[in-house]
Amino acid sequence: METTDILNEVNTIFKRIFENDAIVINPETVADDIDEWDSLNHTIMIVEVETHFGVKFKLKEIMGFKNVGDMCRIVKIKLDEKKLNP
Amino acid sequence: MLEKIIESFDRHAAENAFCISNNFFTYSDLNKNCGSIQGLINKLQLPDNSNIGIVTYDDIQTYSSVFSIVFSGHAFVPINPANPSERNKAIIEQAGIKYILSSSSSESLMEIINSGITLINTTEKITDSIFKPEALDKNKLAYLLFTSGSTGVPKGVPITVGNLDAFLDAFFSLGYKINNTDRFLQMFDMTFDLSLMSYMAPLCIGACVYTVPFDAIKYTYIYSLFEDHKITFALMVPSILTHLRPYFDEIKLDAMRYSLFCGEALYEDIILEWSECIPNALIENVYGPTEATIFCMTIDVKREGGNKSFNGIIAIGKPMENTNSINVNENNIPLGAGDKGELCLSGKQITPGYWKNELKNSEAFFILKENGETVRYYRTGDLCYFDNDGDFFYCGRVDHQVKIQGFRVELNEIEHYAREFLQQHNVVAVPFTNSIGNTLIHLFIENYSGSFHPLTDYLKTKIPSYMIPNKFTSIATFPMNANYKIDRKALAETLKIKN
Repeated sequence: METTDILNEVNTIFKRIFENDAIVINPETVADDIDEWDSLNHTIMIVEVETHFGVKFKLKEIMGFKNVGDMCRIVKIKLDEKKLNP
Repeated sequence: MLEKIIESFDRHAAENAFCISNNFFTYSDLNKNCGSIQGLINKLQLPDNSNIGIVTYDDIQTYSSVFSIVFSGHAFVPINPANPSERNKAIIEQAGIKYILSSSSSESLMEIINSGITLINTTEKITDSIFKPEALDKNKLAYLLFTSGSTGVPKGVPITVGNLDAFLDAFFSLGYKINNTDRFLQMFDMTFDLSLMSYMAPLCIGACVYTVPFDAIKYTYIYSLFEDHKITFALMVPSILTHLRPYFDEIKLDAMRYSLFCGEALYEDIILEWSECIPNALIENVYGPTEATIFCMTIDVKREGGNKSFNGIIAIGKPMENTNSINVNENNIPLGAGDKGELCLSGKQITPGYWKNELKNSEAFFILKENGETVRYYRTGDLCYFDNDGDFFYCGRVDHQVKIQGFRVELNEIEHYAREFLQQHNVVAVPFTNSIGNTLIHLFIENYSGSFHPLTDYLKTKIPSYMIPNKFTSIATFPMNANYKIDRKALAETLKIKN
């Protein structure tokens, strides 16, 4: 799966959990750009992304997410690893 | 005890007092800022013990403002710029505030500055102003905090210098082995009184306070502070643990020596898992309403398990020095061990009474004769019992308050504003627990076919974000109980069935 596909699927997750169909994200999107993205929704979003892609982030990785693009890149690395070591 | 903070200004002048957004400020920096801000306050020539607002940003000017105000004989009223301007206006009006200290003048802030109120810019430096702390008077107010009120009007809780001093005295009597080398977490919004312990206690002993910016994703920022700065003392609300729980297996914080929890029910299962992450820490559950100054009861958590608990919630323990706890029935008659009743508190930490609210005061406070003396008790609204050892157990609320992210929330207040917007519709706010264990609000609306978005938008202008319902459901007719009251329990049950 390419990073753009991951971004699109993450966008769908964002619309659902933040209950806002108007949300359009890009790799540079940060929490400040989305009103509903607070500490509580952050955790729910992380859990939803993990469940959707079947991956598990490490706390250190989450702390390193500067924007949505960082998260999608880690998802891609984890999916690629899974492909190599199913 | 409060004077110890001033002693630290000299004794620990070159040591760090605050770490704010990774910038360090020494006690000398704090002293200079206090001097400058006191200079600004003195220019105002205010009547003694005036209420002065502080817009609570996460910066050194804001913290310095607290000490400049209290040590100039006045009381501070924290105002969170992120809260709805209407709520802040109500607070400013109720507290009779004429001057507000602020390190910034954002647009949202200007909305709350009515005519007749002056904003004092605390970044303005008065270089020759040396901080001259006044001798403290225990009867003067130190601060005035506002909590959620059932009529939609926030309730003011005034805390005196004597109350605050009694808290610090009781805190240091707990025997924690802490000193100027300790590093304290300060994760709380300054309108929440747990913040006061988190920065005042460390400053009393010359330790350093590590703050969490308001706009940060809290649990990741807190964890970075734990890791990067080897925090040794952390008072947190238990909901932080529900965020960190999926990563407990990665966490090992050898430097943590004291891990305290307050503000919400603490469940034994999660705290025992957390204990593995902090192998060298003493874990404590502490309890107390704002009306009894920060916290006033405590119990050690045994990391090997077998803790005293009720429905999985760790006991809240025994009163600290300066507080007495009893359980009473609806006629204010003290109950014995094992009997459930309302927890009532007395002692030096109890507020003199709600701010200009005699009706609420007559409901919340009562007098008991004890050994020939009259003792004034505060009703906490918490349903409790105590065992033969004198340890108290929290069993729930006797009214419609819930704790959300540690904030005390009156469900009636949410309903009040929802009804105000919806006009003809009945509403009921019901707390529920989400998949990761956080308490959230589900708002039921009777016979409503419109969109929920305009309602949410309206609520955002009235109440803080943590009070905004997360889920909405319209129901044709609300269930009624035997007394023909809306059956809240039945509505709550529908959530359980759904989940």
